[in-house]
Amino acid sequence: MSQRQLTDRRLAELMRAAQAGDAAAYAELLEDVALRLRRIVRRRRRFLGAEDIEDLVQDVLLSLHAIRATYDPERPFIPWLLAITRNRLADGARRYARHAAHEVPVEHLPVTFSDEGANTSVEIFVEIDALKEAIEALPPGQRTAVELLKLREMSLKEAAATSGTSIGALKVAVHRGIRALRRMLRKV
Amino acid sequence: MIKDTNAFIRRLAQDVRPVRPLLHPWIRTAVWLALAIPSVAVVAFLIALRRGLPPIALDSRFVIEQSAALATGVTAAAAAFVSVVPGYRRKFLLLTGLPIAAWLGSMGQGCLQDWIQFGTDGLRLRPDWVCLPMIALMGAVPAFAMALMLRRGAPLTPRVTMAFGGLAAAGLGNFGLRFVHVQDASVMVLVWQCGAVFALSAVAAWAGPRLLNWPSVVDSTRSRAALG
Repeated sequence: MSQRQLTDRRLAELMRAAQAGDAAAYAELLEDVALRLRRIVRRRRRFLGAEDIEDLVQDVLLSLHAIRATYDPERPFIPWLLAITRNRLADGARRYARHAAHEVPVEHLPVTFSDEGANTSVEIFVEIDALKEAIEALPPGQRTAVELLKLREMSLKEAAATSGTSIGALKVAVHRGIRALRRMLRKV
Repeated sequence: MIKDTNAFIRRLAQDVRPVRPLLHPWIRTAVWLALAIPSVAVVAFLIALRRGLPPIALDSRFVIEQSAALATGVTAAAAAFVSVVPGYRRKFLLLTGLPIAAWLGSMGQGCLQDWIQFGTDGLRLRPDWVCLPMIALMGAVPAFAMALMLRRGAPLTPRVTMAFGGLAAAGLGNFGLRFVHVQDASVMVLVWQCGAVFALSAVAAWAGPRLLNWPSVVDSTRSRAALG
Protein backbone atom coordinates (compact mmCIF):
# COMPACT_ATOMS: atom_id res chain seq x y z
CA MET A 1 0.00 0.00 0.00
CA SER A 2 1.44 3.40 -1.00
CA GLN A 3 2.09 6.25 1.41
CA ARG A 4 -0.74 8.23 -0.15
CA GLN A 5 -3.19 5.37 0.39
CA LEU A 6 -2.06 5.01 4.01
CA THR A 7 -2.51 8.73 4.58
CA ASP A 8 -5.91 8.64 2.94
CA ARG A 9 -6.97 5.71 5.10
CA ARG A 10 -5.84 7.51 8.27
CA LEU A 11 -7.66 10.72 7.32
CA ALA A 12 -10.76 8.77 6.31
CA GLU A 13 -10.80 7.08 9.74
CA LEU A 14 -10.51 10.45 11.46
CA MET A 15 -13.33 11.80 9.31
CA ARG A 16 -15.56 8.85 10.12
CA ALA A 17 -14.90 9.50 13.81
CA ALA A 18 -15.65 13.21 13.29
CA GLN A 19 -18.95 12.36 11.61
CA ALA A 20 -19.78 10.35 14.72
CA GLY A 21 -19.09 13.45 16.84
CA ASP A 22 -15.53 12.76 18.08
CA ALA A 23 -14.11 16.27 18.67
CA ALA A 24 -10.52 15.10 19.35
CA ALA A 25 -10.35 13.12 16.11
CA TYR A 26 -11.87 16.06 14.28
CA ALA A 27 -9.29 18.51 15.67
CA GLU A 28 -6.50 16.12 14.63
CA LEU A 29 -7.99 15.81 11.15
CA LEU A 30 -8.39 19.56 10.70
CA GLU A 31 -4.81 20.22 11.84
CA ASP A 32 -3.52 17.75 9.28
CA VAL A 33 -5.81 19.11 6.60
CA ALA A 34 -4.81 22.71 7.38
CA LEU A 35 -1.15 21.85 6.72
CA ARG A 36 -2.04 20.32 3.37
CA LEU A 37 -4.31 23.22 2.45
CA ARG A 38 -1.62 25.75 3.28
CA ARG A 39 0.74 23.98 0.88
CA ILE A 40 -1.90 23.85 -1.86
CA VAL A 41 -2.91 27.49 -1.48
CA ARG A 42 0.74 28.63 -1.41
CA ARG A 43 1.42 26.69 -4.61
CA ARG A 44 -1.67 27.95 -6.43
CA ARG A 45 -1.65 31.54 -5.17
CA ARG A 46 2.05 32.32 -5.08
CA PHE A 47 1.48 36.05 -4.86
CA LEU A 48 -0.55 35.89 -1.62
CA GLY A 49 0.73 37.04 1.72
CA ALA A 50 0.64 34.80 4.82
CA GLU A 51 -2.56 36.40 6.15
CA ASP A 52 -4.44 35.93 2.89
CA ILE A 53 -3.30 32.30 2.75
CA GLU A 54 -4.65 31.71 6.26
CA ASP A 55 -7.96 33.32 5.25
CA LEU A 56 -8.31 30.92 2.34
CA VAL A 57 -7.29 27.94 4.49
CA GLN A 58 -9.93 28.88 7.06
CA ASP A 59 -12.50 29.37 4.31
CA VAL A 60 -11.92 25.82 3.06
CA LEU A 61 -11.94 24.41 6.62
CA LEU A 62 -15.25 26.12 7.32
CA SER A 63 -16.73 24.75 4.08
CA LEU A 64 -15.48 21.27 4.93
CA HIS A 65 -17.06 21.59 8.36
CA ALA A 66 -20.40 22.77 6.96
CA ILE A 67 -20.72 19.93 4.44
CA ARG A 68 -19.02 17.12 6.34
CA ALA A 69 -22.16 15.01 5.91
CA THR A 70 -21.38 14.78 2.18
CA TYR A 71 -18.31 12.64 2.89
CA ASP A 72 -19.10 9.04 2.07
CA PRO A 73 -17.20 6.85 4.59
CA GLU A 74 -16.82 4.16 1.93
CA ARG A 75 -14.90 6.46 -0.41
CA PRO A 76 -11.38 7.96 -0.29
CA PHE A 77 -11.00 11.16 1.71
CA ILE A 78 -8.37 13.10 -0.26
CA PRO A 79 -10.36 13.42 -3.56
CA TRP A 80 -13.29 14.71 -1.48
CA LEU A 81 -11.06 17.28 0.22
CA LEU A 82 -9.39 18.35 -3.05
CA ALA A 83 -12.75 18.81 -4.77
CA ILE A 84 -13.88 21.18 -2.00
CA THR A 85 -10.55 23.01 -2.05
CA ARG A 86 -10.57 23.52 -5.83
CA ASN A 87 -14.16 24.70 -5.72
CA ARG A 88 -13.60 27.16 -2.88
CA LEU A 89 -10.47 28.62 -4.46
CA ALA A 90 -12.27 29.07 -7.78
CA ASP A 91 -15.30 30.51 -5.96
CA GLY A 92 -13.06 33.01 -4.17
CA ALA A 93 -11.57 34.11 -7.49
CA ARG A 94 -15.03 34.50 -9.04
CA ARG A 95 -16.24 36.45 -6.02
CA TYR A 96 -13.31 38.79 -6.34
CA ALA A 97 -13.93 39.23 -10.08
CA ARG A 98 -17.55 40.24 -9.44
CA HIS A 99 -16.45 42.57 -6.68
CA ALA A 100 -13.80 44.19 -8.89
CA ALA A 101 -16.29 44.61 -11.76
CA HIS A 102 -18.46 46.79 -9.54
CA GLU A 103 -15.60 48.89 -8.19
CA VAL A 104 -15.52 52.49 -9.38
CA PRO A 105 -11.97 53.75 -9.04
CA VAL A 106 -11.75 57.44 -8.24
CA GLU A 107 -8.67 59.61 -7.97
CA HIS A 108 -10.02 62.13 -5.47
CA LEU A 109 -12.75 61.19 -3.05
CA PRO A 110 -14.97 64.11 -2.16
CA VAL A 111 -15.00 65.20 1.47
CA THR A 112 -18.17 63.81 3.02
CA PHE A 113 -17.77 64.10 6.77
CA SER A 114 -15.29 65.99 8.83
CA ASP A 115 -13.95 62.89 10.55
CA GLU A 116 -10.60 61.69 9.34
CA GLY A 117 -11.62 58.14 8.46
CA ALA A 118 -14.15 59.37 5.92
CA ASN A 119 -11.58 61.42 4.05
CA THR A 120 -8.88 58.99 3.13
CA SER A 121 -7.72 59.09 -0.49
CA VAL A 122 -6.52 55.49 -0.42
CA GLU A 123 -8.63 52.87 -2.14
CA ILE A 124 -8.91 49.82 0.04
CA PHE A 125 -8.82 46.48 -1.71
CA VAL A 126 -10.27 43.76 0.45
CA GLU A 127 -8.57 41.14 -1.71
CA ILE A 128 -5.21 42.27 -2.90
CA ASP A 129 -4.31 39.22 -4.98
CA ALA A 130 -5.51 40.63 -8.27
CA LEU A 131 -4.00 44.03 -7.58
CA LYS A 132 -0.60 42.48 -6.83
CA GLU A 133 -0.82 40.38 -9.97
CA ALA A 134 -1.83 43.38 -12.05
CA ILE A 135 1.07 45.48 -10.71
CA GLU A 136 3.48 42.67 -11.51
CA ALA A 137 2.13 42.56 -15.06
CA LEU A 138 2.89 46.26 -15.71
CA PRO A 139 5.87 47.25 -17.86
CA PRO A 140 8.97 47.91 -15.65
CA GLY A 141 8.85 51.73 -15.91
CA GLN A 142 5.18 51.93 -14.98
CA ARG A 143 5.55 49.36 -12.23
CA THR A 144 8.42 51.29 -10.62
CA ALA A 145 6.46 54.54 -10.84
CA VAL A 146 3.35 52.97 -9.25
CA GLU A 147 5.37 51.27 -6.51
CA LEU A 148 7.32 54.41 -5.58
CA LEU A 149 4.54 56.97 -5.85
CA LYS A 150 1.42 55.01 -4.90
CA LEU A 151 2.58 52.18 -2.68
CA ARG A 152 5.54 53.76 -0.91
CA GLU A 153 3.90 57.19 -1.16
CA MET A 154 7.09 58.99 -2.10
CA SER A 155 7.05 62.53 -3.42
CA LEU A 156 7.80 63.02 -7.12
CA LYS A 157 11.20 64.41 -6.20
CA GLU A 158 12.10 61.44 -3.98
CA ALA A 159 10.81 58.94 -6.54
CA ALA A 160 12.79 60.64 -9.33
CA ALA A 161 15.94 60.47 -7.21
CA THR A 162 15.35 56.80 -6.34
CA SER A 163 14.46 55.64 -9.85
CA GLY A 164 16.91 57.85 -11.70
CA THR A 165 14.22 59.15 -14.06
CA SER A 166 12.86 62.64 -14.58
CA ILE A 167 9.79 63.91 -12.76
CA GLY A 168 7.99 64.35 -16.09
CA ALA A 169 8.67 60.74 -17.11
CA LEU A 170 7.46 59.55 -13.70
CA LYS A 171 4.22 61.51 -14.03
CA VAL A 172 3.54 59.97 -17.44
CA ALA A 173 4.49 56.46 -16.23
CA VAL A 174 2.31 56.57 -13.12
CA HIS A 175 -0.63 57.94 -15.10
CA ARG A 176 -0.33 55.17 -17.68
CA GLY A 177 0.29 52.58 -14.97
CA ILE A 178 -2.87 53.48 -13.05
CA ARG A 179 -4.89 53.47 -16.25
CA ALA A 180 -3.53 50.02 -17.15
CA LEU A 181 -4.30 48.72 -13.64
CA ARG A 182 -7.90 49.90 -13.88
CA ARG A 183 -8.24 48.18 -17.22
CA MET A 184 -6.77 44.94 -15.91
CA LEU A 185 -8.81 44.93 -12.71
CA ARG A 186 -12.02 45.53 -14.61
CA LYS A 187 -11.25 42.47 -16.73
CA VAL A 188 -10.56 40.24 -13.70
CA MET B 1 -12.13 35.21 10.32
CA ILE B 2 -10.01 34.44 13.38
CA LYS B 3 -6.35 35.32 12.95
CA ASP B 4 -4.98 32.14 14.48
CA THR B 5 -5.93 29.08 12.43
CA ASN B 6 -5.28 26.75 15.38
CA ALA B 7 -7.85 28.65 17.45
CA PHE B 8 -10.20 28.49 14.46
CA ILE B 9 -9.75 24.71 14.32
CA ARG B 10 -10.46 24.42 18.06
CA ARG B 11 -13.73 26.32 17.57
CA LEU B 12 -14.75 24.05 14.71
CA ALA B 13 -13.87 20.95 16.75
CA GLN B 14 -15.99 22.26 19.64
CA ASP B 15 -18.88 22.74 17.23
CA VAL B 16 -18.69 19.19 15.89
CA ARG B 17 -21.85 17.14 16.34
CA PRO B 18 -22.70 13.73 14.98
CA VAL B 19 -23.92 13.92 11.39
CA ARG B 20 -25.47 11.21 9.28
CA PRO B 21 -23.55 10.86 6.01
CA LEU B 22 -25.62 11.48 2.90
CA LEU B 23 -26.97 8.32 1.36
CA HIS B 24 -25.56 7.09 -1.94
CA PRO B 25 -26.87 9.20 -4.88
CA TRP B 26 -28.85 6.26 -6.32
CA ILE B 27 -30.51 5.64 -2.95
CA ARG B 28 -31.33 9.36 -2.70
CA THR B 29 -32.78 9.10 -6.22
CA ALA B 30 -34.98 6.22 -5.07
CA VAL B 31 -36.13 8.24 -2.04
CA TRP B 32 -36.92 11.19 -4.29
CA LEU B 33 -38.85 9.00 -6.71
CA ALA B 34 -40.80 7.54 -3.81
CA LEU B 35 -41.98 11.10 -3.05
CA ALA B 36 -42.22 12.39 -6.59
CA ILE B 37 -44.09 9.59 -8.39
CA PRO B 38 -47.11 9.54 -6.02
CA SER B 39 -47.37 13.33 -6.20
CA VAL B 40 -47.33 13.25 -10.03
CA ALA B 41 -49.90 10.45 -9.95
CA VAL B 42 -52.17 12.46 -7.64
CA VAL B 43 -52.01 15.57 -9.85
CA ALA B 44 -52.60 13.44 -12.99
CA PHE B 45 -55.59 11.82 -11.27
CA LEU B 46 -57.04 15.23 -10.33
CA ILE B 47 -56.59 16.51 -13.89
CA ALA B 48 -58.21 13.33 -15.25
CA LEU B 49 -61.14 13.79 -12.85
CA ARG B 50 -61.64 17.34 -14.06
CA ARG B 51 -61.04 16.87 -17.80
CA GLY B 52 -61.79 13.19 -18.24
CA LEU B 53 -59.29 10.52 -19.24
CA PRO B 54 -58.31 10.91 -22.91
CA PRO B 55 -57.92 7.87 -25.20
CA ILE B 56 -54.28 6.82 -25.09
CA ALA B 57 -52.80 4.68 -27.85
CA LEU B 58 -50.56 2.35 -25.89
CA ASP B 59 -48.48 1.54 -28.95
CA SER B 60 -44.77 0.84 -29.04
CA ARG B 61 -43.92 4.47 -29.85
CA PHE B 62 -45.79 5.71 -26.78
CA VAL B 63 -44.11 3.09 -24.59
CA ILE B 64 -40.63 3.92 -25.92
CA GLU B 65 -41.17 7.68 -25.55
CA GLN B 66 -42.53 7.33 -22.04
CA SER B 67 -39.74 4.93 -20.99
CA ALA B 68 -37.12 7.34 -22.35
CA ALA B 69 -38.81 10.31 -20.63
CA LEU B 70 -38.92 8.43 -17.33
CA ALA B 71 -35.30 7.31 -17.71
CA THR B 72 -34.33 10.93 -18.42
CA GLY B 73 -36.00 12.02 -15.18
CA VAL B 74 -34.39 9.24 -13.15
CA THR B 75 -30.86 9.68 -14.49
CA ALA B 76 -31.13 13.47 -14.26
CA ALA B 77 -32.12 13.12 -10.60
CA ALA B 78 -29.15 10.81 -9.94
CA ALA B 79 -26.85 13.26 -11.76
CA ALA B 80 -28.15 16.14 -9.63
CA PHE B 81 -27.49 14.17 -6.42
CA VAL B 82 -24.03 13.15 -7.65
CA SER B 83 -23.15 16.75 -8.46
CA VAL B 84 -23.49 17.84 -4.81
CA VAL B 85 -21.01 15.25 -3.54
CA PRO B 86 -17.38 16.42 -3.72
CA GLY B 87 -14.98 14.00 -5.36
CA TYR B 88 -17.47 12.09 -7.48
CA ARG B 89 -16.60 11.56 -11.12
CA ARG B 90 -18.26 14.24 -13.20
CA LYS B 91 -18.46 11.80 -16.13
CA PHE B 92 -21.47 10.37 -14.33
CA LEU B 93 -23.41 13.43 -15.45
CA LEU B 94 -23.06 12.31 -19.07
CA LEU B 95 -25.20 9.28 -18.29
CA THR B 96 -28.33 11.41 -18.71
CA GLY B 97 -27.31 11.99 -22.33
CA LEU B 98 -28.33 8.43 -23.28
CA PRO B 99 -32.03 8.58 -22.32
CA ILE B 100 -32.25 12.17 -23.63
CA ALA B 101 -30.90 10.96 -26.97
CA ALA B 102 -33.36 8.03 -26.93
CA TRP B 103 -36.22 10.37 -26.00
CA LEU B 104 -35.45 12.95 -28.69
CA GLY B 105 -34.63 10.19 -31.17
CA SER B 106 -37.97 8.44 -30.65
CA MET B 107 -39.85 11.69 -31.09
CA GLY B 108 -37.76 12.53 -34.14
CA GLN B 109 -38.64 9.16 -35.60
CA GLY B 110 -42.31 9.85 -34.84
CA CYS B 111 -42.07 13.16 -36.70
CA LEU B 112 -40.53 11.37 -39.67
CA GLN B 113 -43.29 8.75 -39.71
CA ASP B 114 -45.96 11.48 -39.48
CA TRP B 115 -44.32 13.30 -42.38
CA ILE B 116 -44.20 10.14 -44.51
CA GLN B 117 -47.81 9.30 -43.67
CA PHE B 118 -49.45 12.74 -43.78
CA GLY B 119 -46.94 14.95 -45.60
CA THR B 120 -46.49 18.50 -44.30
CA ASP B 121 -49.83 18.22 -42.45
CA GLY B 122 -48.14 15.73 -40.12
CA LEU B 123 -45.60 18.39 -39.09
CA ARG B 124 -48.06 21.24 -38.65
CA LEU B 125 -47.54 23.02 -35.36
CA ARG B 126 -50.46 24.46 -33.44
CA PRO B 127 -50.30 26.52 -30.27
CA ASP B 128 -50.63 24.44 -27.11
CA TRP B 129 -49.62 26.71 -24.26
CA VAL B 130 -51.23 24.49 -21.66
CA CYS B 131 -48.25 22.09 -21.65
CA LEU B 132 -45.82 24.37 -19.82
CA PRO B 133 -48.06 25.21 -16.81
CA MET B 134 -49.30 21.62 -16.60
CA ILE B 135 -45.78 20.19 -16.53
CA ALA B 136 -44.82 22.85 -13.99
CA LEU B 137 -47.83 21.90 -11.88
CA MET B 138 -47.05 18.19 -12.06
CA GLY B 139 -43.37 18.77 -11.38
CA ALA B 140 -43.88 21.27 -8.55
CA VAL B 141 -43.78 18.85 -5.62
CA PRO B 142 -40.91 16.81 -7.13
CA ALA B 143 -39.01 20.05 -7.79
CA PHE B 144 -39.54 21.28 -4.23
CA ALA B 145 -38.43 17.93 -2.79
CA MET B 146 -35.43 17.93 -5.10
CA ALA B 147 -34.37 21.44 -4.05
CA LEU B 148 -34.65 20.52 -0.36
CA MET B 149 -32.58 17.37 -0.85
CA LEU B 150 -29.94 19.14 -2.92
CA ARG B 151 -29.49 21.80 -0.24
CA ARG B 152 -28.07 19.10 2.02
CA GLY B 153 -25.17 18.72 -0.39
CA ALA B 154 -22.24 20.86 -1.45
CA PRO B 155 -23.03 23.74 -3.85
CA LEU B 156 -20.13 22.87 -6.15
CA THR B 157 -21.86 23.62 -9.47
CA PRO B 158 -25.22 25.25 -8.65
CA ARG B 159 -26.32 25.86 -12.24
CA VAL B 160 -25.48 22.35 -13.41
CA THR B 161 -27.00 20.78 -10.30
CA MET B 162 -30.25 22.71 -10.60
CA ALA B 163 -30.42 22.15 -14.37
CA PHE B 164 -30.35 18.41 -13.72
CA GLY B 165 -32.73 18.76 -10.78
CA GLY B 166 -35.15 20.79 -12.93
CA LEU B 167 -34.83 18.31 -15.79
CA ALA B 168 -35.65 15.47 -13.39
CA ALA B 169 -38.74 17.17 -11.97
CA ALA B 170 -40.00 18.47 -15.31
CA GLY B 171 -39.21 15.15 -17.02
CA LEU B 172 -41.29 13.32 -14.45
CA GLY B 173 -44.04 15.96 -14.79
CA ASN B 174 -44.05 15.40 -18.54
CA PHE B 175 -44.21 11.65 -18.01
CA GLY B 176 -47.39 12.12 -15.98
CA LEU B 177 -48.83 14.67 -18.39
CA ARG B 178 -48.70 12.26 -21.34
CA PHE B 179 -51.34 10.11 -19.61
CA VAL B 180 -53.84 12.94 -19.30
CA HIS B 181 -53.01 15.25 -22.18
CA VAL B 182 -52.78 13.63 -25.59
CA GLN B 183 -51.06 15.14 -28.59
CA ASP B 184 -52.00 13.86 -32.04
CA ALA B 185 -48.60 14.51 -33.66
CA SER B 186 -45.03 13.83 -32.54
CA VAL B 187 -43.94 17.31 -33.52
CA MET B 188 -46.43 18.72 -30.99
CA VAL B 189 -44.96 16.51 -28.27
CA LEU B 190 -41.44 17.45 -29.31
CA VAL B 191 -42.03 21.20 -29.35
CA TRP B 192 -44.57 21.79 -26.61
CA GLN B 193 -43.94 19.04 -24.07
CA CYS B 194 -40.25 18.37 -24.58
CA GLY B 195 -39.66 22.11 -25.10
CA ALA B 196 -41.45 22.86 -21.84
CA VAL B 197 -39.24 20.33 -20.00
CA PHE B 198 -36.04 21.93 -21.25
CA ALA B 199 -37.38 25.45 -20.67
CA LEU B 200 -38.17 24.56 -17.04
CA SER B 201 -34.74 23.00 -16.69
CA ALA B 202 -33.18 26.24 -17.97
CA VAL B 203 -35.20 28.26 -15.44
CA ALA B 204 -33.98 25.95 -12.68
CA ALA B 205 -30.38 26.42 -13.87
CA TRP B 206 -30.86 30.19 -13.76
CA ALA B 207 -32.18 29.94 -10.20
CA GLY B 208 -29.36 27.57 -9.19
CA PRO B 209 -26.95 30.05 -7.61
CA ARG B 210 -29.80 31.65 -5.65
CA LEU B 211 -30.85 28.34 -4.13
CA LEU B 212 -27.47 26.65 -3.77
CA ASN B 213 -24.52 28.78 -2.73
CA TRP B 214 -21.66 28.67 -0.28
CA PRO B 215 -22.68 31.68 1.84
CA SER B 216 -25.99 30.04 2.74
CA VAL B 217 -24.14 26.81 3.59
CA VAL B 218 -21.36 28.27 5.73
CA ASP B 219 -22.99 31.34 7.29
CA SER B 220 -25.12 29.42 9.76
CA THR B 221 -22.08 27.33 10.75
CA ARG B 222 -20.00 30.48 11.12
CA SER B 223 -22.48 32.17 13.43
CA ARG B 224 -23.17 29.00 15.44
CA ALA B 225 -19.46 28.44 16.06
CA ALA B 226 -18.93 32.21 16.63
CA LEU B 227 -16.23 32.34 13.99
CA GLY B 228 -16.47 36.04 13.20
